Amino acid sequence: MIAIWYAVVSFMLIIYVVLDGRNFGTGMLHWFVAKTPEERRQVIAAIGPLWSWHEVWLVGFGGTLVAIFPRLMASAFAGYYLALFLILWCLILRGISIEVGGHINDRLWQTYWDFIFVFSNFLLAILFGAAAGNVARGVPLDDRGNFSMAFFTDFNVRGNVGLLDWYTVSIAILAVVILAAHGATYLTLKTEGAVHDRCEKCAKYLWIAAIPLLLIVLIESRIVRPDLPGRSLSNPFLWLGLAVIVVSIITLVSGLITRHELRAFLGSNFVIGGLLATGAAGIFPVMLHSTLAPENSMTAYAAAAGPRSLHLAAIWWPMAFALAVFYFVFISRRYAGKVSVQRDTQGFY
Amino acid sequence: MNSIFNDPGFWHRLQFGFTLVYHYLFPQLTMGLAWFLVYWKWRALRTGDEKYNQAVRFWAKIFGLNFAVGVVTGIPMEFQFGTNWSDFSRFAGGVIGQTLAMEGMFAFFLESAFVGALIWGEKRLGPRGHFAAALAVALGGWFSGYFILVTNAFMQHPVGYQIDAGGSLGIASMSAYLLNPWAFVQFAHNQMAAVVTGSFVVAAMGAFYALRGLHPVQARLYLRAGTLVGLIASLLVAFPTGDQQAKMVGNHQPITLAAMEGKFVGGSEASVALIGQPNVAAQRLDNPIEVPGALSFLAYGHFGSFVHGLNDFPKDAWPDNLELLYYSFHIMITLGTLFIVLMGFATLQNWRGRLESSTLLLWILMLAFPFPYIANTLGWMTAELGRQPWLIYGLFHTRDGYSKAVSNGDTIFTLIGFTGLYFVIGLLFLGLTGREIAKGPEQEPAAGIGAREAATV
Repeated sequence: MIAIWYAVVSFMLIIYVVLDGRNFGTGMLHWFVAKTPEERRQVIAAIGPLWSWHEVWLVGFGGTLVAIFPRLMASAFAGYYLALFLILWCLILRGISIEVGGHINDRLWQTYWDFIFVFSNFLLAILFGAAAGNVARGVPLDDRGNFSMAFFTDFNVRGNVGLLDWYTVSIAILAVVILAAHGATYLTLKTEGAVHDRCEKCAKYLWIAAIPLLLIVLIESRIVRPDLPGRSLSNPFLWLGLAVIVVSIITLVSGLITRHELRAFLGSNFVIGGLLATGAAGIFPVMLHSTLAPENSMTAYAAAAGPRSLHLAAIWWPMAFALAVFYFVFISRRYAGKVSVQRDTQGFY
Repeated sequence: MNSIFNDPGFWHRLQFGFTLVYHYLFPQLTMGLAWFLVYWKWRALRTGDEKYNQAVRFWAKIFGLNFAVGVVTGIPMEFQFGTNWSDFSRFAGGVIGQTLAMEGMFAFFLESAFVGALIWGEKRLGPRGHFAAALAVALGGWFSGYFILVTNAFMQHPVGYQIDAGGSLGIASMSAYLLNPWAFVQFAHNQMAAVVTGSFVVAAMGAFYALRGLHPVQARLYLRAGTLVGLIASLLVAFPTGDQQAKMVGNHQPITLAAMEGKFVGGSEASVALIGQPNVAAQRLDNPIEVPGALSFLAYGHFGSFVHGLNDFPKDAWPDNLELLYYSFHIMITLGTLFIVLMGFATLQNWRGRLESSTLLLWILMLAFPFPYIANTLGWMTAELGRQPWLIYGLFHTRDGYSKAVSNGDTIFTLIGFTGLYFVIGLLFLGLTGREIAKGPEQEPAAGIGAREAATV
């Protein structure tokens, strides 16, 4: 039961990262692929109607995490206190910059909000990347299940670690590159004209750049956590994740080469999903690894709510998820198609 | 060095209270306004009169601005359960997490999926589809409210729980938890109060345009709908929902009732103070003007019923901010009464056909819209201050709930950050709402193909 819930909660987080990741990527590339004011409005319009719907998945994930793994939520959220508030503030700024940027048709106003948009998305990609690195590396969890972490200490990966060190920073860089590549692949699908052509080029370079970075991170992970993958080699989800990565890389590459934009974008989604799923399966059952002493680490079993709460949640959650999939289909159909520079009259231009 | 400022609990409470009060300024309008949109959309379907569609287009923009700020300020609320109240989450997460997750999955998904369709989808969806979108958004908002109120009702009056192995709480009965009688009463009271906010804002907009001599057809529509709905909702807020809420408090939290009323000495034929200042040191109400027997009657149904005073309870069980609790409750009640009088008079004048010619009444209606926001906020302060010193009434103290691992320096840092960020958001919100009001409702419907509706190439 707890293993299934671990998979479900990981799955929700993966959906969030894959969906909102395209917005982070789009935001980071905004200045580089869109040169004129019209093109910049076009890029915003490509994600405009959907960002809040994507962000809702973070709410769904957060709520599910409190319900299923209350002790993890309690330890991790208090421990990552400052980092989480930075993420929240960036999410606020990101949302505001999308919503209000188009309200006033003035060059200075829009330049200002475009800057906030790019800045907050860069910071979000870095913070989420560093957060993933922290999950892999571990946190200074004490024997009472608490920790409190500074942004940085000595940039080392053992003992009294900080949020940023050489390992988490390199994962943050990898996250920036992969999410930017994801965003470029999305914009290629979603736009036409000059923006489309720039994104098409961008996507190729970024995906190529991601390959050596990913290899470096894999080698680093081996040094930081020599105990992994260890027993998770017998975890079927690990192999499923790896299989997804292989198939989706083939899909992505063939999509990019044959200029089949939807295929490339699907591949891009599943590459990110597969990487995260493999990571989640790799660390299971430990959810919070302690850098102070391995016996302090918090497993999914120790973090979970009581069996009756889990059982009751298993009744309503599938219904809620089925409804969410229904809305997803509705929304994807409604907003299908490309966004162009010329034909627009509504708030985002 | 032993002052309140060294107490981490104080800063956690201040930050949660501030971010919550600010956040709730926006959903209270959208939850109330949503049903105006549904109603006008339905009228447009039935009559084909274009003025209803115009009203929906205009108010959907105001709705959209409020919704966006509500979303971005709402996400920190959920996260603060973990960041600032981690010991509370550790203890009760197995229970309250259920409704927090349900809110996200059942309600918020629904609302946010259709809000774009409501604001920009009129042409693409057609009249029926657009009506359905309005209905979905309204239902999503109210479902959301219900799940959050179930969570709060559990903190006020815990039911349906069990103590799991390890000492934390788990759900014993989902139906008992979701159908908490406290949640029903609180939901009814709170949602009616949200409709009051919505109707005052709609009426104020009508009064503004009427005084300006602009958009006469729309102004009349807003004034009529706003005042009539405002009267009905104001009445329902007081009776039966507010009355039931007070009885609920009287039965389950007698200390809270005594503190709300500033009643230090208990007795039968207890009076209600209309005016008076609680003097905690001297344990009395200064300068009281009282209605004898009214409290006994309101709380327990008989003028002779015994009402507990604060002195019947140990001092450490008293709500820890008694004065603020007393004023929150009394100002809320006073405002609620004035709302009934104002909207009753406006409805009467409307019925006599004199509403739009009465300049003074229009001025009052235009300037009255902030007061339901104040009353809603004070109502929530009454509920939350009255619950003290408990975080979960009778089960878990507030002082045990905050995150022990977070330093005061971190909490004050984030409080300052929120203050600055929310100030900027407030300015932006007011500026952009002002622009929409200045543009007015009588615009051409969005022509051509929007990017949100981008055509497939």
